[in-house]
Amino acid sequence: MSIIQTKDVKKWFGDFQALKGITMDVAEGEVLVVCGPSGSGKSTFIRCINRLEQHQEGQIIVDGIELTNDLKNIEAIRSEVGMVFQSFNLFPHLTVMQNITLAQIWVRKKNRAESEEKAMELLERVGIPEQAQKFPGQLSGGQQQRVAIARALAMEPKIMLFDEPTSALDPEMIKEVLDVMKELAKSGMTMIVVTHEMGFAKEVADRVMLFDEGMLVEENTPEEFFNNPKSDRTKLFLSQIL
Amino acid sequence: MVDLIKKNAKSLQESLFSSVGSAVLTIATTYLVINFFRGMLGFALTSDKDWLAVLNNMQLYMVQAYPEEDFIRVWLSVGLTFVLAGLSIGIWRSDDRVKSSQVFNSFFKGGLGVLFFTIIAPTNASFMGNDGSVITEEVFSMDTRLGILIPVAVFCVIFFSIRFINVKFTVNSSDMVFFYLFIPVALLWFVKLPTIQLDQNNERIIPDPVMPIADTTKIPWTVIFVSFLVSYFIGMYLKSIKSIKSIMSLSWFLLPLLIFSWIFKKPQIDMSVVLGSDLPIFGVFLLWGFLVITFVNNSIFKKYYSTYLGVTFLLTLVGVFSGLPMLAKTCLLLIALFSVVVPAVSTSSQGKRSLLIVWAVALVTLTFLLRGGASDTGIVVPGSSIFGGFSLTWLLAIFGTYVSFPLGVLLALGRNSKLPIIRIVCTGIIELTRSVPYITWLFFASVTLAVFLPAGVEFNLIVRVLMVTAFFSGAYFAENIRGGLQSIPKGQYEAADAIGMSPFQKISLIIMPQALRAVIPTLVSSAITAFKDSSLVTIIGLFDFLTIGKTVIGNQSIPVNFVGHDRENLIFVAIVYWIFTFTLSRRSMKVEKKLGLGER
Repeated sequence: MSIIQTKDVKKWFGDFQALKGITMDVAEGEVLVVCGPSGSGKSTFIRCINRLEQHQEGQIIVDGIELTNDLKNIEAIRSEVGMVFQSFNLFPHLTVMQNITLAQIWVRKKNRAESEEKAMELLERVGIPEQAQKFPGQLSGGQQQRVAIARALAMEPKIMLFDEPTSALDPEMIKEVLDVMKELAKSGMTMIVVTHEMGFAKEVADRVMLFDEGMLVEENTPEEFFNNPKSDRTKLFLSQIL
Repeated sequence: MVDLIKKNAKSLQESLFSSVGSAVLTIATTYLVINFFRGMLGFALTSDKDWLAVLNNMQLYMVQAYPEEDFIRVWLSVGLTFVLAGLSIGIWRSDDRVKSSQVFNSFFKGGLGVLFFTIIAPTNASFMGNDGSVITEEVFSMDTRLGILIPVAVFCVIFFSIRFINVKFTVNSSDMVFFYLFIPVALLWFVKLPTIQLDQNNERIIPDPVMPIADTTKIPWTVIFVSFLVSYFIGMYLKSIKSIKSIMSLSWFLLPLLIFSWIFKKPQIDMSVVLGSDLPIFGVFLLWGFLVITFVNNSIFKKYYSTYLGVTFLLTLVGVFSGLPMLAKTCLLLIALFSVVVPAVSTSSQGKRSLLIVWAVALVTLTFLLRGGASDTGIVVPGSSIFGGFSLTWLLAIFGTYVSFPLGVLLALGRNSKLPIIRIVCTGIIELTRSVPYITWLFFASVTLAVFLPAGVEFNLIVRVLMVTAFFSGAYFAENIRGGLQSIPKGQYEAADAIGMSPFQKISLIIMPQALRAVIPTLVSSAITAFKDSSLVTIIGLFDFLTIGKTVIGNQSIPVNFVGHDRENLIFVAIVYWIFTFTLSRRSMKVEKKLGLGER
């Protein structure tokens, strides 16, 4: 059963058409890696899935709820979909602990003790329980991104979206973030990951997609995608990055 | 010791005379500074100054014409502030330690202050005698002066040099506060000041030029000091209570309201109004809030909640411009704002219960304060206002900020709103208020505002001044805050959205705290400007702190002729203004430092 379904999703920024009709679906527990050159619409697409961007045509159905302008639906979907950004976007005025408990307390209406317990559990899972009382500005990029993952997980989402989570990191820090993501993938989380980390795609992805110029060029299993790509565009892309 | 002098001399040489150029610059600058301040120095060093004009009129400065038989109310206001300060220090600061070097440093600076005042204190005081002749009395002899100067100077040198010797211990910072407060209070009992009083026949008399300070001053201050100490210890005891800090913050917010509506005002309560109008209104709104909280999760009510909100806001708008009692208007505003918050908080039964308590307490407080504020005052004063001098300046400063700051936040958010009507209205208010001089608004308040208010609505002059002040400084606050809002990266909005926060939560928990932190310096300078601008109310006939010094005392000829003593009065007024604004800016720097923690 698919947890995300999109039908012919189109989006324009002014005159520029960013998405030219994307149709796809994601099954529960599936790990989907989306790659493609910059400007190909891959980030725009996953941002449409939790309505950070608004699509103009087509249909997006997440967990049985269709995304429309209804604010209640949007909030309901957002609390089921966790998102990790390229630039972390932690709240700089709150401690790591507060960053993680905030949404639990205000959106999930849990009490403080319960949400702090959950936060500690998650910090342990991402490997930085000792940083709980620090401010985001005092952490390294890799640690910040792991806090961001913990913050998203604190909402107990059914789906996690990763928008180039390692692009802003030093090579040494990439590994620590990828390790957390691999562990997450193995635990059965539904994930859509926009990334250029082909190693990650090979290792944990169930499916790989290639976007180019707003279109879905290729959709394949990792083995097929890397060893036996269908389209020439994929071959060109792979030859450039591998 | 010799090493020390050598070391200092060397560092002086290095910083002032390191090259020919810097030596020339040092000498030239010193010459210019001395020349520039010669007038001031001359004034400080001559004996030709009359601080009696200030000392004798302290009461006028503080409360203008507030009747002496009701002074207990003034003391109660000051005392309550000190009690609250004591509690706060006990709760927040009782563990803070100060390093020995800081202690010595502050003693050194304090000593310099004493030296300064001993030097500028006048030797003689001149009075105009009963027959019109000028009598000059020596009030501060050279012996006394030297008796203070020499020991204090020695102490200063000791405290200055002791910092270089390796003495290291820490002192509780609140002990320092007590010490600094103890000195002036203790001095009240020993120092004698020249005072002038009238005899029974209301003729000018010159009593012994050196009089002990009156019991009416020193006994209240001593009581206040003792209660300050006692409340400090109570505060240390209360520290362990969980929500004490929020209670204290709320008390600080409510204290000025309580002072101005009940303590200072001495309201004459008409029981028939309380029973006939206040209680029914209170009951209606208590029930209203109770119903909203109870049925907020009811599916039908939930569906039409936005309609309900719209209707409530419309009712509030109509209510504010109608002939309803003040209490009903304020309650309408309160229930409208309250209704916005209710759905976000009342999802659990625990949340509902605490909301209900908050609502009941807020209503009781509001009714109590408004009954005091709206009643006639029992204080009989000549002129239109029981507030004058420092009490008026303080009232304008505090209430100006109370109303204008939230207004500024709302206007800034409104100006950024996606809804065109709200955006246009807010932009209009901001641009209109900012582009007209404050003095024009003051005249507007005193002369024409009544014309624009609906028939039957009438406000006291001070309330009208507060209204225009709130909008005027609110517009400035709004523009500052808008600057802060623009500094928040888009990613913060998206992150808040992505974890499913409602727009209200996003603004109040994520965006506003960061935006305000970014603009603390400009907010504080706006607040300082507003505080100083309060002296402009003199133009519509209110007697603020400055007006007392310049106009009232400057024209006073009974019992003593103080005409022509502007110099001393203006210096005093300037110092008092400076103390408050400087403290404010220092406090804000500390807050900034504290909040800046996350940036590093």
